Amino acid sequence: METLDKLKILADAAKYDVSCSSSGSTRKNKKGGVGNAHTSGICHSWSDDGRCISLLKILFTNYCIYDCAYCVNRATNDLPRAAFTPDEVVKLTINFYRRNYIEGLFLSSAIYKSPNYTMELLLQTVKKLREEWKFNGYIHLKAIPGADQTLIERAGEYVDRMSVNIELPSTNGLRLLAPQKKRESIIKPMGLITSKIFQNIENKRKFKFSPSFVPAGQSTQLIVGATRDNDMNILTLSEALYKQFKLKRVYYSAYIPIASHPNLPSISGPPLLREHRIYQADWLLRFYGFKAKELLDIENPNFDEDLDPKCCWAVRNIHLFPVEVNRVDYQMLLRVPGIGMKSAKRIITARRSSNLNYEDLKKIGVVLKRAKYFITCKGKFYGIKDMREDTVKRSLIMGNIKRKNINDGEQLTIFSLYPSLILPMEENMTKITGEL
Amino acid sequence: MLYYIYDGSFDGLLTCIYEAYYRKEIPEKIVSKEDYQGNLLSREIHIDTNDEKAKRVYDSIKNKISKQSLENVFYTYLAEIPDLEIWIYKYLKLGWKIGRSIDLNLTDDRVLKIHKTRLSVDRERHRMLGLIRFRLLDENIYYAPFEPQFNIVGLIAPHFAERLSDQNWIIHDVKRGIGAVYNKEEWIIRDIDLKKDMEYGDEEIRYQKLWKEYFKSIAIKNRINPRLQKSNMPMKYWRYLVEKN
Ligand code: SF4
Repeated sequence: METLDKLKILADAAKYDVSCSSSGSTRKNKKGGVGNAHTSGICHSWSDDGRCISLLKILFTNYCIYDCAYCVNRATNDLPRAAFTPDEVVKLTINFYRRNYIEGLFLSSAIYKSPNYTMELLLQTVKKLREEWKFNGYIHLKAIPGADQTLIERAGEYVDRMSVNIELPSTNGLRLLAPQKKRESIIKPMGLITSKIFQNIENKRKFKFSPSFVPAGQSTQLIVGATRDNDMNILTLSEALYKQFKLKRVYYSAYIPIASHPNLPSISGPPLLREHRIYQADWLLRFYGFKAKELLDIENPNFDEDLDPKCCWAVRNIHLFPVEVNRVDYQMLLRVPGIGMKSAKRIITARRSSNLNYEDLKKIGVVLKRAKYFITCKGKFYGIKDMREDTVKRSLIMGNIKRKNINDGEQLTIFSLYPSLILPMEENMTKITGEL
Repeated sequence: MLYYIYDGSFDGLLTCIYEAYYRKEIPEKIVSKEDYQGNLLSREIHIDTNDEKAKRVYDSIKNKISKQSLENVFYTYLAEIPDLEIWIYKYLKLGWKIGRSIDLNLTDDRVLKIHKTRLSVDRERHRMLGLIRFRLLDENIYYAPFEPQFNIVGLIAPHFAERLSDQNWIIHDVKRGIGAVYNKEEWIIRDIDLKKDMEYGDEEIRYQKLWKEYFKSIAIKNRINPRLQKSNMPMKYWRYLVEKN
């Protein structure tokens, strides 16, 4: 088969993996080598669905011995199959890279013959790239669940990021939809990678020239909407992954109905708004100092469709507001709807030289439409008289009406489709957070 | 109305600022020769670029205000937006008055104007790091034409000198007729005037085809979203993107 035909099949098969981040690594170029990593990542193009293309994202093969119900590549599905050779992947990567099409390679695979056999092939490929071709660009590799520890460890020495996809948020979901996969075969490699990363950091401190191990960290992906798990289950899991496994990112992928199966929900399209809300909440966990249990509880286990998670939290805790912009501390500023990280930092900076008024906040980039209910400037309040949970909520939703109709994926200009990059300019942050 | 007319170079602009200070004049506008249209009511003074004077202003910005400020001013200059010269002048005057804390005044119009422009230039620079497309020419040179809004070819060249250090390459700002040329050792900016149409070999055509195919295959059909695509990747940049042609 021609490389072109393989590429068609194996790019198509890889596209549901949402992670495309190329950030977090500082790998340098060496003399006679090609490439380096950019700390904050670079997008090279945006595909027709609006997502950033940063890496050459392909499966090594889509031949699979497993039969996970939610997956197009499952053994019993009738579709065109292909497999690359390590050399083909290497040549594509190098040639795309030299033309500046991509930031690097994101290589994943279905399970061909056996987990070890597949992992061997992946290892060979990344080893070739680094050693024979002196490639120093970004590599993100999927660890194959069930493969030997030593194979995973050796691969980790060549790549910038490694991930194991959890996909289904609960053991129950796993039993129903992917009975051949064991929870342990996913959790074990994750634990292994985490401990190697830490051991490596430790070694680096002791020995100057210790080789690096997955310097850009570990990530995973969860499917939203293929199982009965509610938002609270998912968010609590993410929180634990960030804390216990020190993951860099958890990605979420709205379940796209590609198969019918008695254990799968029958839905017409991917639950994009739900995915979006979870991304917003994930952002709150990682950068805004929120805890999962502050955002959701047993009475409200799912996010509100009409309001973003931060606004919801704020109206439920209306007794904490309004706060005085010129005095309140950074942590609390971050919790005000309409104030993002960028504007919070700018407020802290600007108020050192003068007291801020309402106009100033506008210049700084605060979204006053939302923030006005929760703040005072120099003691003045611009919100509504009746500061109760339901009245504030109603006003906020009214202000959101225009944005509300984004439910149908069409006009979604939101960050869940946006790259997972941490962009260098704070400016872009608002776009990413969807202005919380 | 007092107009300072300069040659359009960064040194020229700095010389204007030097002169304004020593002549104790306050120009109404600082305009490059190219942009100047003449005006019956204005008094024009042509300022000759002077390296020494420029250097003194340069050092004074760096030492008395900050390196950050110097960078802000340079990036703003590269935006090549008419009338920004006078904002640079006002911004610097404020800077010499209050020193390095100038960039904390996030609500001051002068500071705001400069910061905003700098951010736009920065944004385009970062975008271009991704959107530049090299084509392999027969002479074993990787050639990338582009038409940025701002004059940023010199800002992106160092990135590629580091990353693609073992390739000969040219990044060509077609609109301005200049380019960065790199020979595996160092890069320079020079005028570029390309006459013939580019010829690509089989290998180049093959990889362009592969890339286009990849681009097509990676989009998720249930999520097609041209608006989002265009807002992330404005159409003005599509002309030189292999995957969009
Ligand atoms: S093992 Fe992976 S590729 Fe194979 S069916 Fe399951 S999810 Fe799909």
